[in-house]
Amino acid sequence: MKKLINDPFEVVDEMFNGFILANDHIVKPVGKRSIARVKSPIAGKVGIVVGGGSGHLPAFAGYVGQGMADGAAFGNIFASPPSKPIVEATVAVNGGAGVMYTYGNYQGDCINFDKAQDQCRAMGIPVQSVVLNDDVLSAPKEEASKRRGIGGLFLVWHIAGAKAEQMATLDEVVAATQKANNNTRTVGVGLTSCIVPANGMPTFTLPDDEMEIGLGIHGEPGIKRVKVRGIDSVVDEIMESILADLDYKGSDVALLVNGLGGSPAEELYVVYRRVKQICDANQINIRFKHVGEQVTALEMAGVSVSLMRLDTEMHDLIKNTVVNTCMYKKN
Amino acid sequence: MKSINGHAVAQALIYVAKKVEENKDYLCELDGEVGDGDHGVSMTIGMRAVTRAMNALPNSVSPAEVFQSAADAYANEVGATIGPLYEAAFAAAAGATANLKELNEISNWVNIYDAMVHSIQVLGKAEIGDKTMLDSFFPAVDHIRILSTKGGSLSEALHSTAKTALAAAVATKQLVPKKGRAARLGDRAIGYQDAGATSLAIVLQGFADGLDKA
Repeated sequence: MKKLINDPFEVVDEMFNGFILANDHIVKPVGKRSIARVKSPIAGKVGIVVGGGSGHLPAFAGYVGQGMADGAAFGNIFASPPSKPIVEATVAVNGGAGVMYTYGNYQGDCINFDKAQDQCRAMGIPVQSVVLNDDVLSAPKEEASKRRGIGGLFLVWHIAGAKAEQMATLDEVVAATQKANNNTRTVGVGLTSCIVPANGMPTFTLPDDEMEIGLGIHGEPGIKRVKVRGIDSVVDEIMESILADLDYKGSDVALLVNGLGGSPAEELYVVYRRVKQICDANQINIRFKHVGEQVTALEMAGVSVSLMRLDTEMHDLIKNTVVNTCMYKKN
Repeated sequence: MKSINGHAVAQALIYVAKKVEENKDYLCELDGEVGDGDHGVSMTIGMRAVTRAMNALPNSVSPAEVFQSAADAYANEVGATIGPLYEAAFAAAAGATANLKELNEISNWVNIYDAMVHSIQVLGKAEIGDKTMLDSFFPAVDHIRILSTKGGSLSEALHSTAKTALAAAVATKQLVPKKGRAARLGDRAIGYQDAGATSLAIVLQGFADGLDKA
């Protein structure tokens, strides 16, 4: 294993330290593993707190700033933060309009965010949560509540952040975020494992000539391993799973082609090209698109494709809101 | 095994931490087969925090204070799923030992382990057979409860309880997971031993060995 680190057990603290130093014009630390926007709390604005395990940057803390999240809690690599930093971020971003948590559907995140939510409500802060579950292949449709949250959060949080910027109420921000999640689907494919620094070895092994469809962003196994082949037919399979799960035909969509950390941007554009062809063939109108690394899994090679179906409100929210966060900007 | 006061429990927990860390790679390997491969890391991070907390306690500490301090260490530094579960378990152990100065009877440990396993079940919402840490912990608790009615030494009882847990952890290979990240694999996880059930057995073995040394 070769990594740009010191003690593997110090990686998260040292990363956190560097992150706040590099982004000190946008965020401030509010605890040992929690941050908030420099201007927090913003009076009358719903605060959005995100978080999860480290190892996915720009997700999750990279989205703290104007137009997306107000605060974030950092966990250890691939491990939910405990409730303490979540509570610290909540208190820091509460501008009197309440706070919304939004995070991916993993047991650890659910337990710790729920605990923080209970503690903050007991302090008198109104808190609601929207748990994201866009990963189509992690559970069948009839058990959609068991699905994991992966790359689609990048699209969903555009809607959440934009709605909150309009000074909507907590209920309205929650409703818009829930609607965005309900309209978002993602499928990913992994080519290599990632290496958790404190493990020092690959999480799993994938033969040189195989790729795994449905692989999770922590290296959880997907639904099947297939021989490496031309990427177009893999993208066809990804899109087939997405389009079979939700009716996108004739719809306006926002689209993300997301690199998992170890695949070059060049390859992501090859993927986007095929995704666009399939969208055209299905009368799917891409109204917003992004190609790049957003929700990563350390150095895992691979890609995920996310589609979010847009209604007029969502379309306007995503098109008209300026985003200026630590690791993502949009005019 | 001398009289088990709070200081002895604290020393035993430091020993447990050592054993958990020695098994870090093994636990990650088990977890990597079906999950995300970091269970050994999370447990090591948690038990390192516990060790720091134990070293900060005075020798006059009570058993309940020791367990509560371990719970706080997990609560503040671990996260993941395992953090809240062990936090709840150690807090339950503190409740089960309230006002006690020594834990020399097998019945003390029946109460401790019983409180721990039930707190884990309540928070994790798992059932027996879901391929979780409950599947090594419940058989162990049943075992020590039977031993408590038969007399015998505490040391032997703790060792034989740990062995029961380890055997039950191995037997999780047959089970289909219903909780945690592995649950999404269903039948594909049959044949793999559950990492959480295994680390729980290592913790119980560490207690048995650590209290012998304390």
